[in-house]
Amino acid sequence: MKTATKPPRFATRLLKTFGHPDTSEEVQGDLLELYDHWVQTIGARKANWRYIVSTLKLMRPLAQSRYNEQYRPPFSLSPVMLRNYLKIAWRNLMLHKAFAVINVVGLAVGLATCLLIVLYVKHELSYDRYNAKADRIYRMIIHGKIGGKEISTAMSSVPAGPALAHDYAGVEAVTRLNQEGTFIVKHDHESFKEEHVAFADSNFFDIFSIPLLKGNSKTVLTDPNTVVVTETIARKYFGTQDPIGQTLTLGSRGLFRVTGVCADVPSNTHFHYDIFGSMRSIQLRETWFTSGLVTYVVLQPGYSADAIQAKIPEMVKKYAGAEIQQLLGMNMTEFIQKGNAFGFQLQPITDIHLHSNLEAEIEPNSDVKYIYIFSVIAVFILLVACINFMNLSTAGSAGRAKEVGIRKVLGSIQRQLIGQFLSEAVLVTFMALIVSLGIVVAVLPSFNLLSGKQFDLSALTNGWMLPGIAIGCLLIGLLAGSYPAFFLSAFKPVSVLKGRLQGGAKSGWLRNTLVTIQFMVSIGMIIGTMVVYQQLHFIQHKKVGFDKDQVLILHDTYTLGNKADAFKAELRKLAQVQNVTLAGYLPAGVSNGGTDGFQPDNGDPQSTPYREKSYYIDENYLSTLGIKLAQGRNFSKAFPSDSVAILVNEAAVKRFGWKNPVGQRLWTVGNGSPESHRLYTVVGVVKDFHFESMHQHIAPLVMFYGKDNYQMALRIHTDDIPGLLKTVEKTWKAQSDTPFAYSFLNERFNRIYQSEQRVGELFSIFAGLTVIISCLGLFGLAMFTAQQRTKEIGVRKVLGASVTSVVALLSKDFMKPVLLGILIASPVAWYAMNRWLQDFAYRITIPWWVFVLAGLLSVGIALLTVSFQSIKAALANPIKSLRSE
Amino acid sequence: MKRAFLGEFEEVVLLTVAILDEEAYGVTVTQEIEQKTGRAVGFSTVHTTLQRLEEKGYLSSRMGGATAERGGRRKRFFTVTAAGRKALAEVKQVREELWNALPPQTLQLMGG
Repeated sequence: MKTATKPPRFATRLLKTFGHPDTSEEVQGDLLELYDHWVQTIGARKANWRYIVSTLKLMRPLAQSRYNEQYRPPFSLSPVMLRNYLKIAWRNLMLHKAFAVINVVGLAVGLATCLLIVLYVKHELSYDRYNAKADRIYRMIIHGKIGGKEISTAMSSVPAGPALAHDYAGVEAVTRLNQEGTFIVKHDHESFKEEHVAFADSNFFDIFSIPLLKGNSKTVLTDPNTVVVTETIARKYFGTQDPIGQTLTLGSRGLFRVTGVCADVPSNTHFHYDIFGSMRSIQLRETWFTSGLVTYVVLQPGYSADAIQAKIPEMVKKYAGAEIQQLLGMNMTEFIQKGNAFGFQLQPITDIHLHSNLEAEIEPNSDVKYIYIFSVIAVFILLVACINFMNLSTAGSAGRAKEVGIRKVLGSIQRQLIGQFLSEAVLVTFMALIVSLGIVVAVLPSFNLLSGKQFDLSALTNGWMLPGIAIGCLLIGLLAGSYPAFFLSAFKPVSVLKGRLQGGAKSGWLRNTLVTIQFMVSIGMIIGTMVVYQQLHFIQHKKVGFDKDQVLILHDTYTLGNKADAFKAELRKLAQVQNVTLAGYLPAGVSNGGTDGFQPDNGDPQSTPYREKSYYIDENYLSTLGIKLAQGRNFSKAFPSDSVAILVNEAAVKRFGWKNPVGQRLWTVGNGSPESHRLYTVVGVVKDFHFESMHQHIAPLVMFYGKDNYQMALRIHTDDIPGLLKTVEKTWKAQSDTPFAYSFLNERFNRIYQSEQRVGELFSIFAGLTVIISCLGLFGLAMFTAQQRTKEIGVRKVLGASVTSVVALLSKDFMKPVLLGILIASPVAWYAMNRWLQDFAYRITIPWWVFVLAGLLSVGIALLTVSFQSIKAALANPIKSLRSE
Repeated sequence: MKRAFLGEFEEVVLLTVAILDEEAYGVTVTQEIEQKTGRAVGFSTVHTTLQRLEEKGYLSSRMGGATAERGGRRKRFFTVTAAGRKALAEVKQVREELWNALPPQTLQLMGG
């Protein structure tokens, strides 16, 4: 049959190119034949159309032809495959229960620790960021150098903030806080001691985002004698009554009217005041040269702190110059020429908690160093846990090699096997995550106690935490499973099924490296813990220069007024009380002491004054605290002239450069007024004692003889402390309606090192955990080795090897990475701990035996871990293992 | 053994191949179905069905000699295999059994 019409050529060509090669010949033939038929029956146009449609439908991607094609595996991540992976993973876990438990527990402990550290670090980093203007609020601090001494204090001068706001563009607002110490607060015949009272400028609640529950933030603190109290305080004093309009008596400051109630100050802020009085209720000394209160500056958006700060010297010159002239008798230029400096710096409010450690901080701050330390520890612990996982999986690879071989022969492709192993790892990780959440819930109360924070479960569930944790776990699972996945799936089925395991030696090398890393971390942390404890022990037991045990401190004795002496005399009569002193300052505590300017009486009125610590004591002070005199005599009632006498410590003698200190004279330079400019004579020198923490060297100290009854210290001599306290309290109650408050000197002293103590405790817990996790891994590995070498051990035993030699053989392999770990970890730990110790003015040198002990400890623990398995293997009956061959 | 499973169109194609006996190839099968059933079937459908039946083992194929009218291209002839015959028989049997099971009054209603 011949026809004039031809089918469209492009369709034919399409079919030739994209049709299935196996059937192209007959298909093309058939189509041509049909085309002729179509042309005759339905016409050329329709025939063309049918021809084109047919060719298109027959093109390979569209046609369902499966001639000679191989079986195409389903997509590796299809739901069916995922379900299959999980099913197989679960069966495998159940098959090796011991390993599953080791893996899950190890990872869970690691994850739980990590979660706790994340909570801690997150909280530390969040300080002061709750403020809507956090990035624009700065604290104005004094920074200067007077008399050769650097001064950096968190306070600033009373007029400085307002002057800055008045004179320079870019300052949006200034607000100030003034802490006046502790108040006895009365309401309706009830009185409590409130330690967190501050006076604030009226715009305080506009600047800090502490919501006002009652009252208007624009007007609350505008009038004198008004206060804003927190919710908690409002409930404490007024119960269910409306607090607005109620009154509180703040110590000697008189009656205050409540104008507002604010929410409790967030825990993550650098101050925690409960009561805010209006600034107009108090008298401020408008001097530049003394530090008065805390000043916060809000910059306008777009203004940099540096630009504002550059203006500060100009401002100081303009305002403070006259004061310096009056105070020191020299003008600003001379002042600076003599190497002095006085100025202000703007410190971002978000830097305060982690980066600031100045004089007169409102609260002791944390240190960013601890954030780093803890983050590193978290990473380490997680690393150790992941290493366990990888190690156990690679060790188990021998057992699973056959499985891999069979699966490959049955047509699995490597991609699917990788999917299989990764999903196993992820499954284990998520099981561990669930366990770890349980652990976190269980230990959260103890962790709160330990860290001094208040976390609850909401901290774990809010915001990005949960998705973050889930993603983190997925990544950990993928990471931990990556090595076994790629290592195992690469097995060649032929050699595996023939019994030749490729890469065995290589994986052993890798395993050893990983174990070495684990033990490096563990040993490093053991060393760290020991050094921290050594140092803590050192500073807590170093001779502080006085006797800090058996000293009872009574607080708020100033509220007794002129009855204090009678009270003191009454206590002195008690048999259990050896001595009593009234003083403005006691070591390691809240003080009523301060710093004063002193000028040696050397005839040079132009010399820059020294700024030294000073406080008032009575004649019983030295004997009550057990402070020794080095030269001269103590204060005494027998010398009326002692009102102009002073005691100094040895550091002060050195500072003033005296050869014969007793009889030397000092001018005081107070605020420049005539009455503050007096001449004092040194009557005695006390031996240096640590009145501050051992982070600092002992500073020069000047003690005046005088009536400061801020607090009272009792040297007691009794075992019945509760009984004594009861008696003292009764005496107190008879004299005062102020709540009875006391503390013990040694406890207060220990509290200075609370942050170190906390770090030490946390550190030791983490170190312990790291060791446990590492050993868990080692235990699993030993179990595996013992299993793998059952036959070898059987043969050895049959040939006459002793149990001891077999145990030694098995343990030997594990000792090498541990020993290597010790070698590497020791210098690293030494370096790191030395850096930490630099923070202490008085510190230990790291003793050599710390390294030996840590080494022995880790070797011992590792041996103990391994020996259980090796002894079990060595004791096993060789017949059992050899019978199968 | 698993029962033979045939789709409706597969059954039609398989039967057509059986009817055409030695002369069954793509074109004849397509035309035969069109004639006998009066339904327009696309060649591509027939082609893929033939292939599927072969995969299932109900058909076997061989290449015939070249013919000039097709531009020298050979034809692929299909024949029903034993398994194919068995499958057809089974299908027929199942149908008959079902028909026989029909109650007479239903049969009448259906006009049978």
